[in-house]
Amino acid sequence: MRKDLVFGMAGSGGDGIVSAGDSLLQAAAAEGYHGVMTKSFGSQIRGGESSCRVRISTTPVLNPGGNLDVAVALNWDDFLKFGAELPVSGTTVVIYEAATNIPEDQIPLVGVTPLQVIAVPIAGMAKETAGTERAKNTVVLGLIAGWFGIGAVAVMKGIRKKLAKKGEELVEANQRAFDAGRAFALAHPLKASMNIVASETKGNVKLITDGNDMSAAAAIFAGCQFFGGYPITPSTEVMQFFTDHVWRYGGSVLQAEDEIAGIGAAVGASFAGKKSMTATSGPGLSLKSEMMGLASIAELPLVIIDVQRGGPSTGLPTKTEQSDLFAAAFSAHGDVIRPVLAPTSVADTFRTTIEAFNIAEYYQTPVIVLSDQEIAARKETLDPIDTSQFKIIDRLRPTGAELQGYTRFKQTENHISPISHPGMLGGTYLASGIEHSESGAPTNSGSVHQRMSDKRTKKFDPLKNRKDLFEITGNPDAPLAMVAWGSVAGICREALAMAQAEGMNVKLLVPYLLYPVAEGVYNDFFASVQKGLIIDQTHLAQTFKLLRMHIDLPKGVQPLSRSGANPFLPGDIVAALHHLLSELQRSHEGELQPQE
Amino acid sequence: MSATGTCEYQPKDYKSDLKPIWCPGCGDFSVVQGIYRALAAIGRPPHEIAFVSGIGCSSRIPGYTTAYGFNSVHGRALPIAQGIKMANPDLTVLAAGGDGDGFSIGGGHIAHLIRRNMDITYIVMDNQIYGLTKGQLSPTSQKGRVTCTSRYGSMEEPVNPLLYVLAYGAGFVAQASPTDLAGMAATIEEAIRYPGFAFVNVQSPCVTYGEEAQQIKGLKSISESLASMGHNPADRLAAMDLAQQYGQKMHLGVFYRNPEPPPTYGDLVKERQALLSKDAQPKERILDLFIKK
Repeated sequence: MRKDLVFGMAGSGGDGIVSAGDSLLQAAAAEGYHGVMTKSFGSQIRGGESSCRVRISTTPVLNPGGNLDVAVALNWDDFLKFGAELPVSGTTVVIYEAATNIPEDQIPLVGVTPLQVIAVPIAGMAKETAGTERAKNTVVLGLIAGWFGIGAVAVMKGIRKKLAKKGEELVEANQRAFDAGRAFALAHPLKASMNIVASETKGNVKLITDGNDMSAAAAIFAGCQFFGGYPITPSTEVMQFFTDHVWRYGGSVLQAEDEIAGIGAAVGASFAGKKSMTATSGPGLSLKSEMMGLASIAELPLVIIDVQRGGPSTGLPTKTEQSDLFAAAFSAHGDVIRPVLAPTSVADTFRTTIEAFNIAEYYQTPVIVLSDQEIAARKETLDPIDTSQFKIIDRLRPTGAELQGYTRFKQTENHISPISHPGMLGGTYLASGIEHSESGAPTNSGSVHQRMSDKRTKKFDPLKNRKDLFEITGNPDAPLAMVAWGSVAGICREALAMAQAEGMNVKLLVPYLLYPVAEGVYNDFFASVQKGLIIDQTHLAQTFKLLRMHIDLPKGVQPLSRSGANPFLPGDIVAALHHLLSELQRSHEGELQPQE
Repeated sequence: MSATGTCEYQPKDYKSDLKPIWCPGCGDFSVVQGIYRALAAIGRPPHEIAFVSGIGCSSRIPGYTTAYGFNSVHGRALPIAQGIKMANPDLTVLAAGGDGDGFSIGGGHIAHLIRRNMDITYIVMDNQIYGLTKGQLSPTSQKGRVTCTSRYGSMEEPVNPLLYVLAYGAGFVAQASPTDLAGMAATIEEAIRYPGFAFVNVQSPCVTYGEEAQQIKGLKSISESLASMGHNPADRLAAMDLAQQYGQKMHLGVFYRNPEPPPTYGDLVKERQALLSKDAQPKERILDLFIKK
């Protein structure tokens, strides 16, 4: 019996493999399991290759998992295009379409002997039972129900609901396809049973959503009333959610003519006194950088969600990467600090997005939320979130007394000035991108520029002491350490558990606040560290370099970085830790027995 | 709208304490005077007005008023103005800037504001030159014009701002000039009162880099009032015909005013909000949308 199963399925666009993944995840949730589903496509609009990974577990799931337990290939060409995204190992059961006419001992996987390989006439069974090959995905779901014990009832319940409007005939055809798949599996038992154990939380309410929808819902919860944006993969769904829902809350959306106009309108809405936001991905972030600078100097609250994809330029538009880190921290010219936050899962996207609005409002600044394609597009099962635990912060408004002779950029002890907005009597001022004095009057004065730059940068000092924006797990005194953020953090959490299970003395720091770099938090963390890994999904080891700009990292701390579409597996990270540990032991031995 | 009467405000109530950076004799001094007068005639209190601009000599203009001003970045006055209007539809929203700001770096935004028909008034101070950067070719410079970036003469046809906005379907299109200050004030007032997007092109001479023909005297010699010509401002095709003469003639007054103004974007937003707010859940329960039963 298994407590955790990772499925990876691939086919061509029309095979409905992603829709099968959706059905599997929903059925698992209905049966009380936790789950994560990620999708990966070629960049074709229709057709082309598509794949999904579904991880199902009896305990909360931290990431989409490592090597596949179960691989499903509707055809090998498409499956192989996903390479390291669908890794098969010696413990994988491989199920594939018999009509490919490839013998079981000749499947085109190089350098690996799977646990078991089974050719199944999937298309044939679909045609025979449902009258169409389009039911292939339902046959696959039947096979999974039969071999792994997930969704025997719940899958068809979900499909019934989904297809109800399309008529009983279609539902029945799918039922026959499902039953045929399940019967095939039951008639051909696996060499070693891989049934998942029953969940103890069956019947509990679960939510299922992805990172993009979650961030939009969080924004509305935080009081966001305006979204200005432009469609760009993989962030577009944030805008779509707004266009579906924000009107109900008295807000509005502008699908602008371009990325610049989208953020421009959001800047305008913020100036007008409303919480506002935009969302984008790589190239859009570049286009928006001038407006981000404007919002910084005009001290206007604004949230920018950047769903990272492979870059530069169009790069890998449908694959995840963390290489926008430098751009998020440093784009927009001039001396400026702009906070950057990053969620690590769909679940904590809710909290992170609310935090972004709170920081934007409190500090009167643009804030970037660095999501990534994996979190944005992956679906997670979530336990219900108690929204009453979240505090919502609104910008500091001038009092009646402050509106007598109002000074917009008044110097205060914490460098934060009460902010008025159009419509507020007594609060009129000039917002501007040009340097300005406390009153808002344009200036070229060096002394004013220095004073106001001080105000705009020093105001962020308290943010660096927000220890609640950092998560430290493992032994606090460990000599071995990891730092990871975003979607990579979930993989490292699992790697930490694996390493600890092997007896390693190791710890993990996950920053939700990436910038400004909280020197104090890192210095404390690294005090005990002799060897460590700064892990990210970039080619240039951007996180390592960003930290090294601000912190004297211990010599034994090094980057572990990979560019997009080359995912880390928890096992890769444990292996790297082993390597560091043996180095550490060797150096200790060296200390004990000095060489002559 | 506030309950204030029309006599309550004087033009000086809209004038700020900031001293303009403009060269003595710049046409923009007249434009800001015209705006003070128009705003006083309308009588909206300054704090209920948002005035947005981009970058350029003329884009300094919001700072010289007592309204809420936003002197933003080059070419982006219109997106910012739209965000302001959407966030608070009750405000009077003005946008202003130069011909480079509006028709070159920000040229892509006008078409979209027009098709959205937001109730925003856009005043372009058109002087056929880049003044702030000291005399380069602008999108409305005449072909053959010699400037410091076109020593041997411009090789490009100018943009025709009037035809541009008429072609995209703007509901209110007018032209004004400091040659007739009272007329300019009246035109700007009418533009602000128009319920929808309104565009006023102001021929505002650059005394430092402008050519002789573009100064007040030269402009006067080619100026003609549309009203005195008997032009019917409800006739869009006639307006487009007249607009073709941009650069040769300076027609002043209203080229086109849609006699039946369609609903504005703001009207449609309100309608949608009213329709959908009926089944709104409290935002504390927004995550209920993700419950799978």
